[in-house]
Amino acid sequence: MSQKVDPVVVEIIRNALAAAADDMNATLIRSAYTPIIYECGDCVVALLDDQHQVLGQSAGLPIFLGNLETCTKATEEQFGREVWRPGDVWILNDSYLGGTHLNDVTIFGPVFVDEELVGFTATRAHWIDVGSKDPGGSMDSVNIFQEGLRLGPQKLVEGGVDVPGVMSTIATNVRFPYQTSGDMHAMIATIKMGQARLEEIVRRWGLDTLRAARDEIFAQTEALEREVIAAIPDGVYTAEGCLDNDGIDLDTPVPVRLTITVSGSDIDFDVRDSADQTVGPVNCGVSQTVSACRVGYKLLVSPDVPGNGGSFRPMTVQVREGSVFGAVAPAACQWYFSHLGLLIDMVARALAPALPEKVAGASHGDSMIVLLAGRDPRTRRDYVSLEATLGGWGAWDGSDGETALINNVNGSLKDIPIEVFETRYPFRISTYEIRPDSGGAGRFRGGNGVVREYTALHDCTVSLWFERSTTPAWGLFGGHDAAPPEVVINPGREDERRLLKCNGLRLKAGDVIRCATGGGGGFGPPAERDPGAVRADVLDGQVSETRAKEVYAHA
Amino acid sequence: MARFRVSMDIGGTFTDVIGYDEATGRYLVGKSSTTPDDLTDGVLTALASLVDSPGDISFTVHGTTQGLNAFLERRGVKVLLLASAGAGDTYHIARGPRTRLYDLHFRKPEPLVPLRDILEIGGRFDAAGAELEPLDEDAVRRAAQVYRDGGFGAIAVAYLFSYLDPAHELRTREILLEELGPEVTISLSHEAAKEWREYERTSSAVVEAYTGPVVRRYLERLEANLTERGLSVPLHVMQSSGGILTAESARRRPLQTLLSGPVGGTMGGVELARQIGRPNLICVDMGGTSFDVSLVIDGQPDISPEAKIEGLPMLMSVVNIHTIGAGGGSVAWLEAGGLRVGPRSAGATPGPACYGRGGTEPTVTDANLVLGRIDPEWFAGGSVALDTAAATTAVSGLGEALGLDTVAMAEGICDVANAKMAQAIRTITVSRGIEPREFTLVAFGGAGPMHAVFLARELGIGEVVVPRFPGAFSAWGMLQTDIRKDFSDTYFFLDADLDPADMAARLAAMAEEGLASLAEEGVPEENRRVEHAVDIRYAAQEYTLTVPLEDAAEPAREGFVETIAKRFAQQHESRYGHANLGAPIEFVTLRTTAFGDLGRGAAEEIPAAAEGAGFPSRLREVVFDGAARPTLLVRREELAAGHDFEGPAIVMESTATTVVPPGYTVSVDPIGSLVVRAAGEENK
Repeated sequence: MSQKVDPVVVEIIRNALAAAADDMNATLIRSAYTPIIYECGDCVVALLDDQHQVLGQSAGLPIFLGNLETCTKATEEQFGREVWRPGDVWILNDSYLGGTHLNDVTIFGPVFVDEELVGFTATRAHWIDVGSKDPGGSMDSVNIFQEGLRLGPQKLVEGGVDVPGVMSTIATNVRFPYQTSGDMHAMIATIKMGQARLEEIVRRWGLDTLRAARDEIFAQTEALEREVIAAIPDGVYTAEGCLDNDGIDLDTPVPVRLTITVSGSDIDFDVRDSADQTVGPVNCGVSQTVSACRVGYKLLVSPDVPGNGGSFRPMTVQVREGSVFGAVAPAACQWYFSHLGLLIDMVARALAPALPEKVAGASHGDSMIVLLAGRDPRTRRDYVSLEATLGGWGAWDGSDGETALINNVNGSLKDIPIEVFETRYPFRISTYEIRPDSGGAGRFRGGNGVVREYTALHDCTVSLWFERSTTPAWGLFGGHDAAPPEVVINPGREDERRLLKCNGLRLKAGDVIRCATGGGGGFGPPAERDPGAVRADVLDGQVSETRAKEVYAHA
Repeated sequence: MARFRVSMDIGGTFTDVIGYDEATGRYLVGKSSTTPDDLTDGVLTALASLVDSPGDISFTVHGTTQGLNAFLERRGVKVLLLASAGAGDTYHIARGPRTRLYDLHFRKPEPLVPLRDILEIGGRFDAAGAELEPLDEDAVRRAAQVYRDGGFGAIAVAYLFSYLDPAHELRTREILLEELGPEVTISLSHEAAKEWREYERTSSAVVEAYTGPVVRRYLERLEANLTERGLSVPLHVMQSSGGILTAESARRRPLQTLLSGPVGGTMGGVELARQIGRPNLICVDMGGTSFDVSLVIDGQPDISPEAKIEGLPMLMSVVNIHTIGAGGGSVAWLEAGGLRVGPRSAGATPGPACYGRGGTEPTVTDANLVLGRIDPEWFAGGSVALDTAAATTAVSGLGEALGLDTVAMAEGICDVANAKMAQAIRTITVSRGIEPREFTLVAFGGAGPMHAVFLARELGIGEVVVPRFPGAFSAWGMLQTDIRKDFSDTYFFLDADLDPADMAARLAAMAEEGLASLAEEGVPEENRRVEHAVDIRYAAQEYTLTVPLEDAAEPAREGFVETIAKRFAQQHESRYGHANLGAPIEFVTLRTTAFGDLGRGAAEEIPAAAEGAGFPSRLREVVFDGAARPTLLVRREELAAGHDFEGPAIVMESTATTVVPPGYTVSVDPIGSLVVRAAGEENK
């Protein structure tokens, strides 16, 4: 079926498809109403061909890697291929189809050129509120019905005209209808821009040439990936770890088990032995599990190659329905990424024996959320502050791990400067510093976490989601594990207490919250560390003198 | 007699100079090799090709990459950083983003000061600017001792909330000067950037401390050399903001000169926009390794209040320039059986295969040579002889692997490079909400005019302008700017809480400061002016838009909050495609810019073609769209205003080559620009 196509044309089309995805992303970022999209990049766009294969994509968060095609596919499976009509736009946010929480809404539409279906364009973005029981989403939901409005595949626009009622139904179900409608229209504009770009490409080169080029591009991508996998010795590779708990039953860990089987240039990821779906909201749909495995795979196999339909062809994923990775209704899914972050880290752990030069010790691992709320006495206005806290990343063969970095799932998110925080919220941040000795020791040392200490200047509440104390960041090849996270309320006072998760805990003026995040795992035995590096760490305060004497006795 | 206005642009390879003769109204161009060991040698040589003596210079400005090079090569001085107690690590925490999404081995940009050289000093202000704890003066004196003992070359001081109350930073400087003497370099964060966000402000102060002594020494030396040879006017330096300032000021605030290199081209674009009556330009500057794109919108440069170099932020006004890894040296290579072009470059060594310096991989320059689009005898004005055989061997080797003949391979390399550059331009304009078809493309730099018409074709742009002296256009642009001084002041208020009279009073004070600074720059009173603006955002956003004010008194006028909200909404609409009139807005930063007009070179009309007179030309075979076509070869200096001709054509001059494919016409405008239009495009 495939004609031989000019390699120059293939390369021009390859760049054009990647650029079309970048243009879609630029359009979404430019026209979205809420900062979570245009500042945090909690969104993704893709162009698909008529077989739901990715022609080009651009993601703001790593975890959104390649799960838009499941939405167009599921819609087609449910309604038949005839359902696609020119000028239609669809919407969907069902966690069990899309894989993430209900806040992640997918909008997509078919692309027709001269009445022929040539592909799809799609975008997913985080909506700030979808009508859950608590504003913005809950930390303690126990079923999907508490988490907000849930839409299966649903037409939003038909033949270029808004479907009556759908938009108003959405508007009446969310807390911020104005911003939500703005984001929705930005997403519609985004898929229309993608449609125009894909149509231009089809018209310029012709469908036959485009398809032949696509096959060649996919073949190139697949060949690059198979080369890497073929170099991994055949065998079975495993890793295991635990979430501390599901946020509801605080005493029961949630195990995550991964088995990777490499055979020739094929690779299989099996997470069926992981925990059953939980009461608390640490569940996700299958497609997001596939995405997480893809992130773990991409980090090792093809970090620099733009994703397309040729990516991940060597890879299969096995998920058990009814587990935390294959949640079924009515499992709560709001906190869908804690176990996915762990799974991503475990891919490198499992494959470490085979790819020692590509892996790294584990990272601190989760978002480490601090949510503060109250009424600011200075302005007499209510406020809510939601922050992710930085932590350490793992060391690898050739370098120490990075200190104070955002976790994998949050992409390029930045912390909030002390000056901005204290201006906006009635707190003092008395300390914001690197947490010495929190990274795992090793020939290469794991990066350190941070300590961020807030003093409340008035009565308020705090909610926390800190993870990875049961399975702190592990070291590799003799490198030590890192310190786990630690949160202390009122350290050194009589009413001092330690906890990692809580919902709406009341604080009084003068109370202190000291949040310490974990470090990254070390790499190689500490006894092999360059003595000069040990001395430098002590000079820089990254490692205390006591610790240096303890684990680096040779230095 | 001092009658020449002279600019000098020191590039990586060449130093370009342009002189404007105030007596005759003519421009002169000179050039020399850049002398990296001591840039002043190259500058003086280039200057000598233009004027008999520096005493003939009536005004002079130059762009320097000294600070930037010191930064990029990490040749700055050892800096001691003083920070607030409890916050000393923020410079290394660096706000913690991962800018590469799929990288297990991600490292942040390497900070310029290691943790061990950061000292925490007691003393604290709160968010209202109230002192919570006095400055620990003893700690500052101990820091001076550390400086003395540690072999340091500069000190940066960055305390929390110093943008609200700089008292602790100022007192720290007093103590350090007392302890260490007047020669020590001290950079205070509130002076480097009077804005909130401690990491970014600290980074600004550190970069200034790190590069400052290098820039200072260089400027002192150059100025002394020029003065010794008779220069009797102050030396000016280009700033990242597109304005200029005296070398004396630049020595005090060297940060501003850091990104001055490519900015001259954009400022040339601003002046060209005025001269040719085209307010919207896409300026492309293509050299050996990089392709710089900048925009002129409504006749104004696109300026942003923050910049990053190698990931380290600086809070300063800077002309937005997008750089893409595409240039004449971009290498064509194979990956999994597919063709790739760039982003890797053959650089200056070994360089393209045709340079004959040992390069064997085909580059974009090699491809252009094989196609006949470069004259081997006339490349860079004949200063570099090109080896066509080596280029052909390199290109045909790659072609064999891909099953293409040499010519198809060469054209393919150019097509891929052009498509990538065009797509990059499109993404930049889409993200600004701009339609490139409505813009004119201006091409300069050595390789820009060679590719510009192809880019225009990809983007649907109807008009390309290649200005006179395209290889020295940045230098020309430097003669077309004002003295510029930027002042900022964090001013954080929700609209509901704003005291407009207070804002007006703050702006009035800033205006006074701005005008006074122009006096220091030697600007005559009647040529001084100030502009004001305020950074605004919707409540809870992080990013702001800079919204212009009519004048410092505007906030005090009736209905200001409504007026400014509306103006912000309009700007938001055009930048982001929507606005939210009525939603609460936050004022964040006040900005005052002082401009001083020191005169500029006038537009020079070139001689007009006599009625019916042609110009010398010859024909050569050049490949376009797969076929060798007889192509008109023209020397640019033979062209006069009013001449026109059709593509395919190649216009050669000493600093650049303009390639015009079939289907385009060229006309020479009164100021000597080549105006290239798609056949059938009417003169707008």
